[in-house]
Amino acid sequence: MEAITRNRPAFANVLVRLNPGEKIIAEADAMASMSASMEMRTRWSGGPIKAILKRIFGGESLFVNEFSSAVPAELVLTQGMPGDIECIELKGTTLFLQPGAFLACEPSIRLGLGWAGWASFMGGEGLFRLKVSGTGRVWFSAYGGIFTREVTDEYIVDTGHLVGYEPTIHIRVGLAGGIFSSFFGGEGLVTKVRGPGRIYMQSRNFSGLTAWMNAHI
Amino acid sequence: MSELDFTISQRPEFAIVSVRMQPGQKIYSEPAAMASMTPSLTMKAGLKGGWKKALGRMFAGESLVVNTFSAATAPGEVTFAPGIPGDMLHYRLDNSSIYLQRGSFLAHSEGVELSAKWQGAKGFFSGEGLVLLKAHGTGDLFFNSFGAILEIDVAEEYVVDTGYIVAFEDTLDYKVVVLPGARPSKTIKNFLFGGEGFVCRFSGQGKIWIQTRYVHSLLSWVFPFRPSSSKS
Amino acid sequence: MRYEILARPAASVAKLTLDANESITCEVGAMIAMSTGISVETTSGKKGGGGGFLKGMKRMFAGENFFLNHFTATQPDQTLILGPTMLGDVVHHHLRGGTLVIQGSGWLASDTGVTIDATWQGFGKAIFSGEGLFWVKATGQGSIFLSSFGAIYEVDVNGEYVVDTGHIVAFEDTLEFKLKKAGKSLIGSFLGGEGLVCRFNGTGKLYCQSHNPPSFGKLLGPKLKPR
Repeated sequence: MEAITRNRPAFANVLVRLNPGEKIIAEADAMASMSASMEMRTRWSGGPIKAILKRIFGGESLFVNEFSSAVPAELVLTQGMPGDIECIELKGTTLFLQPGAFLACEPSIRLGLGWAGWASFMGGEGLFRLKVSGTGRVWFSAYGGIFTREVTDEYIVDTGHLVGYEPTIHIRVGLAGGIFSSFFGGEGLVTKVRGPGRIYMQSRNFSGLTAWMNAHI
Repeated sequence: MSELDFTISQRPEFAIVSVRMQPGQKIYSEPAAMASMTPSLTMKAGLKGGWKKALGRMFAGESLVVNTFSAATAPGEVTFAPGIPGDMLHYRLDNSSIYLQRGSFLAHSEGVELSAKWQGAKGFFSGEGLVLLKAHGTGDLFFNSFGAILEIDVAEEYVVDTGYIVAFEDTLDYKVVVLPGARPSKTIKNFLFGGEGFVCRFSGQGKIWIQTRYVHSLLSWVFPFRPSSSKS
Repeated sequence: MRYEILARPAASVAKLTLDANESITCEVGAMIAMSTGISVETTSGKKGGGGGFLKGMKRMFAGENFFLNHFTATQPDQTLILGPTMLGDVVHHHLRGGTLVIQGSGWLASDTGVTIDATWQGFGKAIFSGEGLFWVKATGQGSIFLSSFGAIYEVDVNGEYVVDTGHIVAFEDTLEFKLKKAGKSLIGSFLGGEGLVCRFNGTGKLYCQSHNPPSFGKLLGPKLKPR
């Protein structure tokens, strides 16, 4: 399977070329266009109960689509927001994603829910996080450009700019400054990440966009 | 004033600036612009320059509050990103001035002062606000846009739709004129005449920075998707 | 006329250089900036006015403005910067006879060799294609600038090709499309979020947009103040 991520970072979309026997699993409504020979099969995202839990706690859709073709065929996958798509290859490893970030994966990847903890909940990110593991490629999306940072000790990330992180990263919630400065200065709660490990950040914050729009409406 | 060590990446649609700070350095940003930082920096919100300056900023479409990030004893790094998709530019002020359109300000170093500049009738007719933000002094300034920023070197005269101006050098003179048909009509009266738009006619020598998208287009596009208000 | 497309694909604009007497027609509001040696005329139809009322009305139903702006250079070497309202791409299409069918708001500008009209695609397509009631029909010889929400990609269709509703920008009329369900089963198609898709048939060029404006609107809307 060949996959090219085009138009990064503003309007990233993935051009996938499938050979007979190959499959890709994508979030519902991710297909923009495809060869007429491509077959689309809709199924629960990992069984009904898991799917419902993922829908409620992981911000993912109840159903995923599985694409395959009897002849070589292509498919374009996209997301609803303007923004970037990152592809990573898991080699028996795990990655945590913020709710809603999952876009697509190879069939060998397991999608599950992980307990994110009260700290994550306080920071407005939810009690659970999406856990992707296995061996194969995973695509995840963001509002803004995606960039990484290797965290050695501690780093402060504005909540809403964190997209994903490795399991060695420890997360807690804190304030950007003093109580007064944090809220008066519009930063509110921030995420304090402790390494060592890699974090994936997005260069925009969706609630920053909606706050800006609400102020200008 | 020592120059800031910074990198702007992800231009033009999702520009973000990363500033590496040395002990003793300070940077001032609009509220909620911080995307990430090292724990070695301290953040403090305040009314920089006192109430008078803060009110001036407010009239120029910016916030009353300015956040100060300082590196006290150890070096550090801070990144800033606005909420809207768009571009970002750095401008080095050297005992000079630049005008910013409402909402364009992102951050500045020490040595830069922001003040409101009353535009009088020009501002009233432009539909973009009565007041421009003036940045002056010696230091680093970062401003942002909706869409990409294009730089235009004006040699004699140039016409820009008022909704697309991000910033311009104070060596330029301008007047606001009506350009029939420049904007889609919003009212029946305007509709009959094909809408009318205001443009800035710049003259003199200097640089203008324009943005490639108009924020009000986004706001009117999203209108049908907004929830309907409950009548209670 | 020379053109350059800048800041692709999210903040794209067309920067045109016009020689004296060269003219371009664009949607109202598309002008961002220009040199001073350009005159502007607003009409509901062709440059020079007259007889365009019906066309203006049809264009309005196609999601465009009732009026058109005609920019004409009065001096040599004049620049004009045009941009669409939405975040997204701009591409240039050279029309050499034939017809290009353009989705509602996908038309940005065209030169005087191109005639712009609206076309009705039929009731089913109007409701379910995720596009407008009317489409813009461009005929003649010359340059057309198309705009989108998202990046524009070209597909040379030879046979059949499937596009999700809301992702069509334009297509040559040697192609036609039918609305079909996305998967084998109808229920699956809707549960899978794809619902109906546009199944193209024929030989010709198809322009798709990478993103779908209503999908973005549905993510934004609930977080905004009531209207």
